[in-house]
Amino acid sequence: MNTETANRAQGGAIAPYLMAVLASRFEAIIREMTNTVMKASRSAVIKNARDMSCGVLTYDHRLLSVEEGIPIHITALDLTTRPITEYFDDIEEGDAFLNNCPYTGATHHADLTVCVPVFFEGEPLFWVLSRSHHADIGAPIPTTYLPYARTVYEEGLHFPCVRVQRKHKELHDIIRMCRMKIRVPTLWYGDYRAQIGACQIGERRIKELIARYGVATVKAFVEEWMAYGERRAIAAIRQLPKGTWSYETRHDPVPSVADAGVPVRVTVTVDPDEGMIIVDARDNIDCVPGGINLTEATASGSCRIGVFYNLDSSIPHNEGSASRIKVLLRDGCVVGRPKYPVGTSVATTNVNERLVIAVAACFAQMGKPFGMAEGGHMFAAGMAVVSGVDSRKQNHPYVNQMFIGYSSGPGIHGHDGWITYLASENGGMIVLDSIEIDESMYPIVVEGRWLEPDTAGAGEFDGAPGVKLVYRPIADDMTVIYASDGEINPGLGVLGGGAGAPAANYKRLADGRLQRLPAFHSEVVKPGEAMVCQCSAGGGYGDPRQRLPERVAASANRGWLSPERAATVYGVALRRSENGVDWMVDDAATRRLRGGP
Amino acid sequence: MTYQLCIDIGGTFTDCVVSDAAGDVRIFKARSTPGAFERGFLDVLALAAGHYGLDLNGFLGQVERIVHGTTVSTNALVEGKVARAGFIANQGFPDILTLREGPRKRAFEWRLDFPAPFVPPGRTATVGGRIDAHGQEIEPLDEASVAAAIERLRRAGAEAIGVCLMWSIVNGSHERRVAELIRAAWPGVPVTLSHELNPIPREYRRAIATVIDASLHATVGRYVSVLSRALAEHGFKRELLVGNCVGGMMPPAEIIAKPIYSVMSGPTLAPIAARHLTDEADVIVIDMGGTTFDVSAIRGGKLIVTPEAMIGRDMLGIPKVDVRSVGAGGGSIARVDVGGLLRVGPESAGAVPGPACYGSGGVDPTVTDANVVLGIIDPNYFLGGRIRLDPAAAAAAVGRIAKTLGIGLIEAAYAIHTTSNHNMITAIEDITVREGINPRDSYLVSGGGATACHIGEMAEILGIERFMIPRFAAGLSAFGGLISELRWGETATLHTDNRRFAADAVAELLAELRRRGDAFLARAGVPPGERRFEYVYQGRYEYQSWEIEVPFELNGEASPDLARLVEAFHAMHERVYSIKAESDTVEFTTWRVQAVGRNRLKERLADSAWPRQSGPLRPKAKRPVYLHAAGALRPLPVYDGNVIGAGASVDGPAVIEAETFTTLLLAGQRAEVDGQGNYLVDRGGQAGRLGQPQGPAAIG
Repeated sequence: MNTETANRAQGGAIAPYLMAVLASRFEAIIREMTNTVMKASRSAVIKNARDMSCGVLTYDHRLLSVEEGIPIHITALDLTTRPITEYFDDIEEGDAFLNNCPYTGATHHADLTVCVPVFFEGEPLFWVLSRSHHADIGAPIPTTYLPYARTVYEEGLHFPCVRVQRKHKELHDIIRMCRMKIRVPTLWYGDYRAQIGACQIGERRIKELIARYGVATVKAFVEEWMAYGERRAIAAIRQLPKGTWSYETRHDPVPSVADAGVPVRVTVTVDPDEGMIIVDARDNIDCVPGGINLTEATASGSCRIGVFYNLDSSIPHNEGSASRIKVLLRDGCVVGRPKYPVGTSVATTNVNERLVIAVAACFAQMGKPFGMAEGGHMFAAGMAVVSGVDSRKQNHPYVNQMFIGYSSGPGIHGHDGWITYLASENGGMIVLDSIEIDESMYPIVVEGRWLEPDTAGAGEFDGAPGVKLVYRPIADDMTVIYASDGEINPGLGVLGGGAGAPAANYKRLADGRLQRLPAFHSEVVKPGEAMVCQCSAGGGYGDPRQRLPERVAASANRGWLSPERAATVYGVALRRSENGVDWMVDDAATRRLRGGP
Repeated sequence: MTYQLCIDIGGTFTDCVVSDAAGDVRIFKARSTPGAFERGFLDVLALAAGHYGLDLNGFLGQVERIVHGTTVSTNALVEGKVARAGFIANQGFPDILTLREGPRKRAFEWRLDFPAPFVPPGRTATVGGRIDAHGQEIEPLDEASVAAAIERLRRAGAEAIGVCLMWSIVNGSHERRVAELIRAAWPGVPVTLSHELNPIPREYRRAIATVIDASLHATVGRYVSVLSRALAEHGFKRELLVGNCVGGMMPPAEIIAKPIYSVMSGPTLAPIAARHLTDEADVIVIDMGGTTFDVSAIRGGKLIVTPEAMIGRDMLGIPKVDVRSVGAGGGSIARVDVGGLLRVGPESAGAVPGPACYGSGGVDPTVTDANVVLGIIDPNYFLGGRIRLDPAAAAAAVGRIAKTLGIGLIEAAYAIHTTSNHNMITAIEDITVREGINPRDSYLVSGGGATACHIGEMAEILGIERFMIPRFAAGLSAFGGLISELRWGETATLHTDNRRFAADAVAELLAELRRRGDAFLARAGVPPGERRFEYVYQGRYEYQSWEIEVPFELNGEASPDLARLVEAFHAMHERVYSIKAESDTVEFTTWRVQAVGRNRLKERLADSAWPRQSGPLRPKAKRPVYLHAAGALRPLPVYDGNVIGAGASVDGPAVIEAETFTTLLLAGQRAEVDGQGNYLVDRGGQAGRLGQPQGPAAIG
């Protein structure tokens, strides 16, 4: 540590231990909020998959603590509360506001966000937020991913910072609107109430915290915590090489929305001397006529997320560290600030997912050991929103997103890809569904879910292998809606690494034949038919012929790699060990394959 | 029969707590003997026998009950020294143990390896056949594929087999048939069936428990058999009782049949001890050792049982008393990170080389070193003087932190001490706030030799008014096993809800569970008048996935009163999540009956008083100890905890030293000795606002 940093560490207003204490207190509060939302919610996407986040901001909209959240939900959380203080001059203790509007700082319309101001002795000091991905938000069709929705008029309900509570009491009119327009409203209301409960807990806990430590100490902590985040970010950026690097990835074509696909290009400039990183995402196409445009919250959040993935993960992801990452966006750009009223229904996934990984992979252009490969892209029918009626339960209607299987993670220097990844923008935080829970909730049978051999992107460090799965309805027609990127442009490798297997979606017909389905699609599956889905696999990092032969054998022993591919792609010869089950390296043959002595 | 005892085997020491006929309780300690833990077990028994003037056989012949907390299965799992389990799953699902439910990671952390599955793919085999969610067979079991699976596992060197098939919990016929085929083809290989071991939905949780159980059969079977035999040979006439992970006890045959229940058997006895030591409803139980800090809690007088306990990177899969361990102990190492923040742990100097002050080659500054620098620990009276510490080495190690931070030695030592306290507080809050317990409203019970140096400040920061340092703090788990009631839980699944409540089926189920519990108590020799039953259900609102546990009473009726069940659910839901939905449907999923055999020892202990204090209390010495409130070392009175009588009280700031622990009382804290020799500490309404520290440790 250099002396300047050390001195500055002591120059703060509060003792180092108290800073760590208060930081972990805020994290514990968010954990408690998060747990409340997950355990008390009703719809599967929240209660099982955990597609939700909670966070704390200062009242002047500076991000304080978010370590438990899903990156894309929380990295630009400040944009969500900022408009509230612009629109209202009568904010009081006991208020709650709803924001899901892409043009007032929300991520996308399905991420309904409850924002509650925290007052202490009459002074507003913090915001607590609960953001959950609702399974339905009253759009024309039963999904919250609408790639073909060109404008906000096709997206369902928007709440551009609307007050829903006064003096901790519900204002029923807004809730009545929701209950009228959202499918399966009892489910929705249970989820909404879980968010209210979480915010009440957060508010109460923060007030207890201030009562214990005093307003002055907590305020001093906030400033110190931001400064600490900034110091840590500077120290990490100083470890990086100086220069400018670019990377381009491409989202698959979406018919009539982006027939040639959507290229996503970013330039990252690192200035170690200043401890600054500039991410420039302006050199991209204009908004497209569909729902895959990003919102300002997702575009700016994703540019930072891609950088944070390449810095020490113990750096607090607060306003202080974010201030060392300058994001350049353009108005009217597909990965910028969208032009009202263009559609942004799919703003958290797909093209956004490409933006995060483009930034992260940009770092790989610096050479080893920096950066990461592309992970698998999202989201195939393993994550479909399914709907229909269940004749076994008196024709009870259902609509929800399943997480039976999803994409796999990228290779990174020193480590093979993380398997339960889903996509770049959520940091591997989404829980994989239990097959038995899915089968008990929906009228389906899952015939299988496994890691498909020879799908991992090959590298010195492999991408993770791709999940394959099969499911079918039992007795009733089922509508399956998904938006599957990564079929044409798979998760690419970097620095000589190979691509992961592309995504693919099929229907298995009653006679057993497989019918390939379109990538962005709504399909009705009948009893006797089944959905078959290969999820997109992660790309490799570095030259596979540099991979340690023992790691190649280990992949074969995990059932992920055939000996043929081991030989042809990695130059490693494998042979059976004595038990006839396990693979081991044939050293001599490997030397020959790799052209060694 | 004269004696009752509990033996708790830990990583370093084997603790034995014995009660004699008069209810007089003694603690004995011997070194643990990893590799052959039963030796340490017999060693400590011999030590105890000697104290009572008997040989081992003479002593054991008079022992009425032995409860045992064992680390043998936990150690085997942590060190990977379990049998090589094989896993049989449905066709299409070979990767249940790899995929899990998506193993947790930090969102921004990518530099890590995906954890390997508990059973490698080479010892995993799949079989054809399928049951659906309603228990219907939608595809018959493919017996040829079972034969092939058995052959594959045998060739791959499996030593035990776990079988987990989809929906076996509603129709176990496929699993049972697989077991028959295994026994026919491969006699003698241990087999665990998921629906018999752990009848819960969520295939990963059931499967992981199944293979862990399979992998432990040999280890636990051998250990318990050897121990039982050795005890019998030395004259013990009863059955050994092994503490289990759900706060109960199992006789040898039961624990051998379901060995997974012996995981964390020792630490789960600590909250049991606390529950008997105090009548407080909400209690936090802490135990700080050399490398780990264990926390558990009691809520409303009941142990908290979690369905999501972890062992390494896997879930345990079965419910377990919620004891959490974090890397915080006397040996935790302090360092300064690149941002200038002091960090303590989780890295530990361990037993070897140990803290710098041990003089065994350790150079890293540890919490124990800081406590020596602060004067809290007397280097000449560590473990009653059995280990001499080197204060100069402690100062040198802590001095490096001081230099990096640019502060004084004492300030650095205090920063380490208090950072460690805060790490432990975070662990305490983790287990309390997640369960809807406000630590501020809780009573704190301190176990472990190292905890009492820290508890005063932790209580102050947590805002806890009263806490206890039990006389047997250093062997709290063993004490728990000694005074514990006999407990045995019987669980079954029966889905119903408040709109279509299946009253008759519930009544029948509860009666059956009660009958089974009663049979257990009879086998364990509990007379009918000493038997008691507790009832709990797991419930949720319609469409929720996660249940909460709700206790209820039967009040002599066969079927529980529906209105009271529902009312209790709403109240519990509001308590945990701050919201309730009284118009919504409440679903009931799982029912449990806990059979309890009363332990009369507790009453006997109440009669056997710790000698009363006679005459005025005088400190044995004075020595300088750092007090944060004063910002400096202050000469504090040091009392000999071995001789302070009941009824006496000590006002802080002061140090109380006993052979097995050192207590630092802060200003405003008053310790009173109760009739059992426990220290009851009250902060006397001193709980105030904690803001900026006043002393020089307020850096800058």
